[in-house]
Amino acid sequence: MSYTQGTFAALVDAIVPETPGLASRGEEHVPGGLDVSLEAAVVERTNRFLEGESRVPLATVVAALLDAAAVELLLRRRATDGLNAPAEAFSRGVFARLSRRDRLRALGLLEGEEGAFARIADRFDDAGLGVVTYLAGSLPVLVQFVYYSEATAAAGETRSLGWRQADYPGPAEGYPVGMGYEIEAFEENEYESEMRKDDAGESEDDAGGEHESGGSER
Amino acid sequence: MRERETDVVVVGAGGDGPALAWRLGQLGVDVTILEAGPFYGNERWAAPNDAPGGESSTDPGDLSGERYDEQFTAREGEMNDPVAGKLRWGPADAERSPWQRAIPQQAVITQVAGVGGTTQHYYGNHPRAFVPAIDEQPHWPIDYDQLVPYYQRLEAVHPIEPAPTTPKAAVFFEGARRAGYERTDGYNVTSEGYRPFPNAILQPDERLMGDGGERDGESAGGEGESATDEYRYPDYEGDTLAAHEHQGGPHPRGAPVRERARRSSNVSLVPRALDTGHVEIRPNAFATQVLTAGGPGPVAATGVEFRDTWAGTVERVHADAVVLAAGCIETPRLWLNSGLPDDGWVGKGLTTHWFDFVAGVFDSATTETLVGQPAVEPHQGQAAGARVDVPGAGGIAVNTFAPGLTATTMYAAGQGEWSFDRDTAGEPWDTCGRLAGRELKERMADYRRTLTLICHTDDRPRQANGVSVDESTTDEHGPVPLVEWEPHPDDDARRDDLAVRAAEILREAGATHVHRADAAPILLHMQSSMAMGKVLDAGCEAHDVDRLFVADHSALPNGVGGANPTHSGQALALRTAERMAERYFGGVDEPLGGA
Ligand SMILES: Cc1cc2nc3c(=O)[nH]c(=O)nc-3n(C[C@H](O)[C@H](O)[C@H](O)COP(=O)(O)OP(=O)(O)OC[C@H]3O[C@@H](n4cnc5c(N)ncnc54)[C@H](O)[C@@H]3O)c2cc1C
Repeated sequence: MSYTQGTFAALVDAIVPETPGLASRGEEHVPGGLDVSLEAAVVERTNRFLEGESRVPLATVVAALLDAAAVELLLRRRATDGLNAPAEAFSRGVFARLSRRDRLRALGLLEGEEGAFARIADRFDDAGLGVVTYLAGSLPVLVQFVYYSEATAAAGETRSLGWRQADYPGPAEGYPVGMGYEIEAFEENEYESEMRKDDAGESEDDAGGEHESGGSER
Repeated sequence: MRERETDVVVVGAGGDGPALAWRLGQLGVDVTILEAGPFYGNERWAAPNDAPGGESSTDPGDLSGERYDEQFTAREGEMNDPVAGKLRWGPADAERSPWQRAIPQQAVITQVAGVGGTTQHYYGNHPRAFVPAIDEQPHWPIDYDQLVPYYQRLEAVHPIEPAPTTPKAAVFFEGARRAGYERTDGYNVTSEGYRPFPNAILQPDERLMGDGGERDGESAGGEGESATDEYRYPDYEGDTLAAHEHQGGPHPRGAPVRERARRSSNVSLVPRALDTGHVEIRPNAFATQVLTAGGPGPVAATGVEFRDTWAGTVERVHADAVVLAAGCIETPRLWLNSGLPDDGWVGKGLTTHWFDFVAGVFDSATTETLVGQPAVEPHQGQAAGARVDVPGAGGIAVNTFAPGLTATTMYAAGQGEWSFDRDTAGEPWDTCGRLAGRELKERMADYRRTLTLICHTDDRPRQANGVSVDESTTDEHGPVPLVEWEPHPDDDARRDDLAVRAAEILREAGATHVHRADAAPILLHMQSSMAMGKVLDAGCEAHDVDRLFVADHSALPNGVGGANPTHSGQALALRTAERMAERYFGGVDEPLGGA
């Protein structure tokens, strides 16, 4: 397990973990992201987020950022659950040693306005640094989208674990679920124009080009 | 360098560009549309994500329903994955990464490259602007009246009709009635009320329309079941209620492109534009410069320079007029990268409808009583077919998705603290914010019993919000756009109002659990970054550059009240085509808007 994969595994595990407690709703609700190698799918997409040049693979950068955020969380005494020995599938980094909820709180520092990165970006008015907040906010989106789409289905499987857990049958040609029409056709109903623009705005239009119309206040 | 000449060059074959091109073509003006992304469903690009294919398309005979069926699989990962999906903001070449933007904040941006633009995965929702948003807000230099003939034209041709009621819509209507909303029946919205969505989706075949009684809700050809030929063209015409709008909306299978039910611009307007015999569409062509003549002093646009996204070669098209229809982000980027004058409003005033989402979970007994089935079944019926209008605040609509997109919008794209760190005591929702762990998996296990609603806020244009360029980050098309958008406290208040109303509608319908996403900025309805009345005159020609027009949603002066914007964007584009013809191409004999 590489550093990058292991850090993403800790992220995936925080968002879509194995949930033995859900067995009561059916055995299919127990497995989580790690059971379908979701971390690899998310690493792959993160690396493809930006196009090459001399850049390091972006997933490695993100993993390092998650560790930095974990340190920030600890230093700012926001971690509620302390550090644990990382699970077998995780990296040895600080992020992976946090509890599931603390990992998400650390992520929150990366994307939120009051985290160190956002504040530094603000202070130096640096869009490049600010992009960290965007990247961080994209991670839960990517994790949940990939998990609950068909992308993690094994070869030959028509439905992914996520689709099965949602009991989604997959794309269909159609459904005979029409119940009639609440309205058959819309009417060209009367309306009041309380405030009409003076016609000047529009007639100047014909002169072609140069005028200030509307005088809008914003 | 290859150089060519035509009457008008349009940048972008998205939602609005083809509307303008169609009207100009009808008036006998020759138009070349440059489109950055691929052309799906066209015989000249058999494998649009693997190889360069043909160069351009002028013949409606090139359109191919067979290719459309091959390419648009309706699987959400394959179609909508923001990095690797077919419907993404990036080049046709599947091997390559998406195109870059500098976004220094938590946000999601959804725009799609390719012929049809972002309408390739839109829901076909086509309400007119709310009347007071045009006539009472201070932004529009023209009256609502003046848009009506153009709306009417689109309503006739797409066509746009009331969405059929489906079980999820019926649940929503019932909640809205119990919450005290009355039904409104008109196109022109001035007051609160509920109604079916005016949708640019062909009405379904009668055989899919029951009487509201017992239904087995069985799908045909679902992947889990044996595929059948049911619900295919020509046996079935019109919508099949498959709910795949977001995944490309390719139904009914087997139909010619122009007879697909969901009327994205590539299905509805592009074929009409090609029919005129005056329109050429060149995909895989990324415009990088607006060419000008004159100056110092007045300048005039004379053409466009673009880069072939496969070959990397640079070409030019010279024209008597240039139209930017590249969308709210790329139109100002192209403007700024071309060194055109900036009056302080170029790229600014961006509105986004400051989205939020509210979901309700229903017991089987409740939906049995309301609609005679044990679940909501969000994956059946039009994705968005029912709405409540709240002029002044915005709108609330049923908005349903396949599971990946449901998780993303409802449970992953929130701002601020995760749900487990929030106290919702006394709030109208049981949970709020992003979900993770067991809570997330439970909510997703409830997917089929969940009704998801979207809140579209009537956010107002502000100069601090919008698009500039990030000079420090350059891709092969120049400095990349820098996008910044923050809600004003007034916009927050409107959004809160809508979220409370949405929760009330769900509760009144009988939801047992209500969740509010508290979404981070989701930029998917974008308007007003090159506003008419600011950067543009009342004919949508640039104040500071002659012969340069804008015909995409950036030209809208505001967020049209929170109504879905495409009807207004396309109506304005038709009007702009007539203004162009009046000013530079010999006039219009029978303008739609009257002489
Ligand atoms: C999931 C989803 C559902 C939606 N549903 C609805 C709905 O139901 N109703 C509604 O009204 N709206 C809906 N919208 C929003 C709607 O799709 C957009 O508002 C609309 O498509 C915007 O039109 P446009 O012409 O401004 O830009 P786009 O449709 O984005 O078109 C711009 C085009 O220009 C091209 N382009 C950009 N830069 C260049 C360049 N430099 N050179 C060449 N080409 C370029 C792009 O590739 C694109 O094709 C939805 C959006 C999403 C994401």
